[in-house]
Amino acid sequence: MEKALIIKDLVAGYNNKIILKKISFDVPKGMITAIVGGSGSGKSTILKHLIGLLKPLSGEIITKGYDLTKLDEKDLNKYRKSMGVLFQGSALLNSLTIEENVALPIREHSKLNESTIKIMVKMKLDLVGLSGFGNFYPSQLSGGMKKRAGIARAMALDPELIFFDEPQAGLDPITASGLDFLIMKLRDLFKMTVVVVTHELHSLFTIADKIIHLDKGELIFDGTKEEFKRSENPKIVNFINRIPEEENYCPEDYFNILTAE
Amino acid sequence: MEIKIEDQKNIRILSAMGEVDMHTSPELRKHLLKAVKDKIPIVIVDLKEVSYIDSSGIATLVEALKGMMKYKGSLKLCSLSERVKEIFSFAKLDKVFEIYKDLQDATIG
Repeated sequence: MEKALIIKDLVAGYNNKIILKKISFDVPKGMITAIVGGSGSGKSTILKHLIGLLKPLSGEIITKGYDLTKLDEKDLNKYRKSMGVLFQGSALLNSLTIEENVALPIREHSKLNESTIKIMVKMKLDLVGLSGFGNFYPSQLSGGMKKRAGIARAMALDPELIFFDEPQAGLDPITASGLDFLIMKLRDLFKMTVVVVTHELHSLFTIADKIIHLDKGELIFDGTKEEFKRSENPKIVNFINRIPEEENYCPEDYFNILTAE
Repeated sequence: MEIKIEDQKNIRILSAMGEVDMHTSPELRKHLLKAVKDKIPIVIVDLKEVSYIDSSGIATLVEALKGMMKYKGSLKLCSLSERVKEIFSFAKLDKVFEIYKDLQDATIG
């Protein structure tokens, strides 16, 4: 199976605090890989490394034969052009219409004629079910529509690789389900490689071909969703059954936290 | 991408080779708009040797079709790969364009 990304022994952190502890896994090409885990597990940190926003302390992220972590800004920008990202808050520019938001990356990164761009933008908006909303501003759209507009913009440059950061966050179940189908459509129709950071179980079991589970910066599962469901790892069983973890520090630790300078 | 041009009576055949993407589609656009400007009655775009076409390529074809409709010209596409066919079908463009199995069918169709 061809690999779009190979993550090798990735160690990452902020301010001397290690967040990712020697993580290794592959992202298969043309499939949906879901990265799951509770809050603070390191899933957003790994996403930031995969899109080249952060440099790790050590380790490699290999794509098309080169190591992302070693690229200079110029080559990183080339990589970024080959991928799209839907950020949690959609990250649309509020002063631009939806059409202008989607057209922005095309105008920035290509020398296409304006009339070609206009047609492309209409195609992207139709793909996400937003035909007729091009002249709306982000503030005039619902949460689900904003996400769709964000996907249209992420799709603007026909990326081979697309990242979603908690796409279902804040959406009602029906809208979230519609988004799941859209993500699967991107895989099936455009053969895109999709990486989704999520903690929505229903979405996970609907869309994921492969699941990576992080727990406190460690990789505790790497496999298919069927294997995930059968896992006997207590942390995964708790995750699936939505059982919160017990506080694992003693009163002495708590006292130390409260009195630390 | 390379484009081979062949004129036959009222027909202009544009045979594209390689990938039609954001870097190369302006070249295809240039030839298509030239055909529109010349009011060529029938333009056939042969996609047999096209391994990949992105949304800029499809948008270019849509733009050309729009231009040709103004003088009642006909834009025909032929020899689409399965993947390209799927993309056209998904974009609901398979009903908009005249799509033919191969160049021979497009020429006589």
